Amino acid sequence: MEKGNGSGDNIKNEKCKVQYQFAFYILHFALLMLPPSLRERRRYLVFEVISEREIDKRELLDEIRSSLYSLYGDVGASESRIWLIGYDKKKDVGILRCAHNKVEEVRAALACIHSVNGARIGMRVIKTAGTIKGATRLTKSFLEKKIFVLVILV
Amino acid sequence: MPNFFDLNVHAYPETDVPVEDMYRIAKRYGYTGIAITNHDDTEKGKEKLPPSISTFVFRGVEIRTNSVSELKRKIKLYYGKVSLLAVHGGSAKINEAALKDFRVDTLAHPCGEKGEGELSHVLVRYAAKNGVAIDFNLNAIVHSRRSDRARILWKMRENLRLVRKYKAPAIISSNAHSVYDLRAPREMIALASLFGMKKDEAIHALSAIPEGVLEKKWKKETEVEII
Repeated sequence: MEKGNGSGDNIKNEKCKVQYQFAFYILHFALLMLPPSLRERRRYLVFEVISEREIDKRELLDEIRSSLYSLYGDVGASESRIWLIGYDKKKDVGILRCAHNKVEEVRAALACIHSVNGARIGMRVIKTAGTIKGATRLTKSFLEKKIFVLVILV
Repeated sequence: MPNFFDLNVHAYPETDVPVEDMYRIAKRYGYTGIAITNHDDTEKGKEKLPPSISTFVFRGVEIRTNSVSELKRKIKLYYGKVSLLAVHGGSAKINEAALKDFRVDTLAHPCGEKGEGELSHVLVRYAAKNGVAIDFNLNAIVHSRRSDRARILWKMRENLRLVRKYKAPAIISSNAHSVYDLRAPREMIALASLFGMKKDEAIHALSAIPEGVLEKKWKKETEVEII
């Protein structure tokens, strides 16, 4: 493809081989991946935390898990399939992924959290979205609004 | 969207959280009004509310006592002076005395704060007759774990069954002692679903019934009869 390439047969063959191998890997990977129709449906919850001190992402995830497990048990928690996508401890907002039909259950589990390692916190879900893209957009607009309100209050 | 109210919040004279903080957080969570119901035995002098938040925050009182005669005396003392008269429930005799009295607005946590008390079908019938709202305290669910929470949920489920049967007014409240105990309306509805309350029922218990309680909607007839 490139200009000024060596014109030897040996090099050409080698290149062909590499290309075939690459195509094979891609095909293999594509076959292993779930087709979109079989993928599980998800919801992304944008949540907000009010806390006494800064909360670490790890601490928060442990607390969310323990709350969910104590409220619904192992079976119920496995059905909700939670995953913490991200949490900004400076701005106190984060995104949590869960199964699309377990939003209310996860919401109740989040509401049941009252402290993390002795620091009192309160959590609330601001919005839910169907994609990460939508969730980040909602987070951004929420933060803008928050800053706007703070400016007005000051 | 309906107007949401939280009718059991404790603030400054009892706890060290100022009323303004509670107002700010509750407003951000989407409430239309909250009622500050401090226990009467911890109230140190009447604090005047700032005029800017007096339409949002209602001044109430929660009577906490162990004897029925004292309860009656205190109801007489506070009746007509506060916009919300609540009674700290728990023991069976206090629950009975509070629900039989038409001057009481709400009976806060009838199963006690740890789920130790009980309501019977006779008492719930009195509540429906006198228009005393029965309070489901969600803070008990949030702050307990395992067997304690299971017992509290079971008691609440029993109470809910009786409330549905006799059509007594029921409200959901947070019983918050700090800003971290407050929960947004959607979270309250999700928590209420844990003990079997349906979504529209929970919305009703968070919006229309508290509004009616503050307006004394179910009291007018009895008051007219007495006068």
